[in-house]
Amino acid sequence: MKIPYRFAAAVLVVTSAPAHAGNRLMPAGTPAQIAGTPLSVTPPIDWNRLGLRPGKFAETWTLDGDRLNKVVFFSGVPAGSPLFREIDRKNRPLPTVSAAMLATDIPVLLESSYRIVMDTALFQVDAMAPTSVGGHDGLRFSYSYTRQNDELRRKGEGRAALVGGKLYMMLYEAPALHFYDRNVEDFHKLADTVKF
Amino acid sequence: MKRALLALAMALGLPGVGHAETFTLPPFTQAYEPQGVDERGAWMTADEQERLLRSSKFVIRDDGLNHYVRGVFCRTVGKDRCANVRIYVMRMPEFNATMYPNGMMTIWSGLLLRVQSEAELGAVLGHEFGHFEKRHGVFGFKNKRTMSDVMAWIGVAAPQSAGFQYSLLGQVYAFNREQEREADMIGVQYLAASDYPSSAAARVWRRLMAEQDASASARGRKAKHGYAAGYFASHPSELSRATTLEAAAVRYGDEGDEGRAAYAQALKDWLPEFLGDQIKRNDFGGSDFILSQLASDGWSGPLLFARAELYSQRGNPRDYVTAAQFYAQAIEKGYAAPKALRGLGLAQLRTQQTEQGKASLRQYLQQSPDASDASLISSLIGN
Amino acid sequence: MGGMMGGWKRLSAWAACALMMASPGLAQEKTGVKSGFILPPGSARIVLMRPSVIVGAQSTGGMFEPNADWTDEARRNIDRAIQDIQGQLGNSVAAYDSEAEEAGALSGEYRSLFTSVADSVREYQFFPGNRLPTKKRDKGFDWSIGTDVADLPGLSNADYVLFISTEDHYGSTGRKMLQIFAAMGGVSVPTGLHKGYAGLVDVKTGELVWLNADLQMGGDVRTADGAQKRVGQLFEGFPGRTMPLAQNALPGPAQP
Repeated sequence: MKIPYRFAAAVLVVTSAPAHAGNRLMPAGTPAQIAGTPLSVTPPIDWNRLGLRPGKFAETWTLDGDRLNKVVFFSGVPAGSPLFREIDRKNRPLPTVSAAMLATDIPVLLESSYRIVMDTALFQVDAMAPTSVGGHDGLRFSYSYTRQNDELRRKGEGRAALVGGKLYMMLYEAPALHFYDRNVEDFHKLADTVKF
Repeated sequence: MKRALLALAMALGLPGVGHAETFTLPPFTQAYEPQGVDERGAWMTADEQERLLRSSKFVIRDDGLNHYVRGVFCRTVGKDRCANVRIYVMRMPEFNATMYPNGMMTIWSGLLLRVQSEAELGAVLGHEFGHFEKRHGVFGFKNKRTMSDVMAWIGVAAPQSAGFQYSLLGQVYAFNREQEREADMIGVQYLAASDYPSSAAARVWRRLMAEQDASASARGRKAKHGYAAGYFASHPSELSRATTLEAAAVRYGDEGDEGRAAYAQALKDWLPEFLGDQIKRNDFGGSDFILSQLASDGWSGPLLFARAELYSQRGNPRDYVTAAQFYAQAIEKGYAAPKALRGLGLAQLRTQQTEQGKASLRQYLQQSPDASDASLISSLIGN
Repeated sequence: MGGMMGGWKRLSAWAACALMMASPGLAQEKTGVKSGFILPPGSARIVLMRPSVIVGAQSTGGMFEPNADWTDEARRNIDRAIQDIQGQLGNSVAAYDSEAEEAGALSGEYRSLFTSVADSVREYQFFPGNRLPTKKRDKGFDWSIGTDVADLPGLSNADYVLFISTEDHYGSTGRKMLQIFAAMGGVSVPTGLHKGYAGLVDVKTGELVWLNADLQMGGDVRTADGAQKRVGQLFEGFPGRTMPLAQNALPGPAQP
């Protein structure tokens, strides 16, 4: 009676194989445009871009998998749009970008969006400082959070700027245990190459 | 079973005018060992859950708060019943509490934010414990499985009979609604037998409905409060619960001190945290309602600050004017946290009060030179 | 070791190959070993983190019913089987007592971290349709949970940490009847779920030197023999037990 389990499980595997748009290599030295916009970065080392996108104006890059080290790019999120795909617009609408945002509003937007999307109250913005993002005045900030059913504390760093009334942002997130420190410099080197 | 029927009969047959002392709960035997395969399975899953919960980051480990919640629980259901229950207070901003078949209970911070007295908290704790006393966890599970078994067969054999599946699905949830009604009733019995007034139970649901109304209205929609629950609802509607509980309280006719002041005192340190969680949920109407309810005895500094934050977050052009006023009022009331000055300054900057805004922010930087956003704020005021 | 397969084993290996080629879904890889890693038998002190063991039934309607008796039995069987198999290699396996070490929260975090890494390996390296281009197999098996794992109290005398997890949903009679009935009508009803992973981490470097991650495991863990088979599969390709760099997961040697 053991064979049917294997066949049945095989059916499970075949029928449940996810249809992915495919994860692409972002080779070192080749400028890559973000989400089909004029924003670009030139990775100093090979990165991977995930086929699955977190939102209309966003894309995710990773070295070892998005649970371990990921970079999320947001390019030209316009006023009135949320950062991520709405999960339940009627009952749990996400906050939206506003053309008159101050730099201090950007981490607030991210925090509120994440709290709603990930359904967690364990989110904290730690520090904020001004910085230049691709030649524009912007800010960098650090944060940390924990997801439910995961219990791994995760740390993040963001760089963002509001340009022409639209939001541009790069986030790096990884578990605080080992992975954050391991690849934060890779993120810095990647983010430093951003060009509008 | 007989004990439960007795209790129910007593509840239904109780005369309209009566003192709480004439009503006593049936005796409670100590925590039993699970019987049968399903119950042991459910306990085991709950035991594993508890193992994880013990080291979960979402559990609030403040001794003072935990001790207080436990105290309210024991005063509600009595020492016999509260002895073996483990209560975990969770950092979750929604109104909820859960009971597991092995005697483990969780209370969410969103619930602590929304009840306003020990009696109201006791009403919810008693309801959850009612599930445990009636062994609901197991019976509901058994029924769900039978229903889903039948539906799977129907799905395979006659895929056109969607109507039949629909009505069976309704039966799964109807079973849960019965359990919830039962837990409501036994919950109000606990209150009636305790020093707390049983009239507190219905108020929880009335306030929840009002919050939903406010939330929907701010989003340009209308909340529906029907007497009948939706077909797929796992609980009776809030309206039917409130009405039933109000009628039960009238029957018991018991009075007592609700413990409003004691509750407010116990929650004082945590209130700003829970309010912060609530405001970040992007629900203006609901949050504004909760704040005004909390302010029924007057607007304290922390409440004014929270209200200012709420308007800041919504960020319509006029909102910053309102927010600036509330920040200023909070500071006048003695709210000393630096973030009040920060909020005031930023709100003033946005409402063309540039000089005042810069002054407020300079004051903020003087008060907390090591603030984690000091350099950013500096750059905003052109230092 | 690897080249000494007897006639029966060779036949079953060929059969398995044929099976894999006939069903493309089975081509998912299951094992990874750090390049060149070899573990001489009897040389390692291994600490076993509390295995995650979940066993239950899958009702006709597909609901998972946890079964305490089965899970208790399975946990006992698996613990014993782990001791037996490691004993054959002469490696000592000691159970990690997080309560005694007062490291409940931290060991939980490491378990979470390991699970994240194992899931990443399975999702982004083993599964061919979703492979990350920088994690292609020819680039080696390069995963780590970091050197700070050595700071977990109680690991000062350990060389490796072993993580094990199994989850079994056994299709009930009703479920199997449904499956047969449905198959007659051309409808596919999946039944049963038998997931597992086993991973070995070098305490000093935090490197994942070996990982097995399988979504289709055999062996009925509710019986002692079945648990032996299951643990045998979990330890397939375990360094020192078969040839290193055994990438393809042929079924383990058949147990008598």
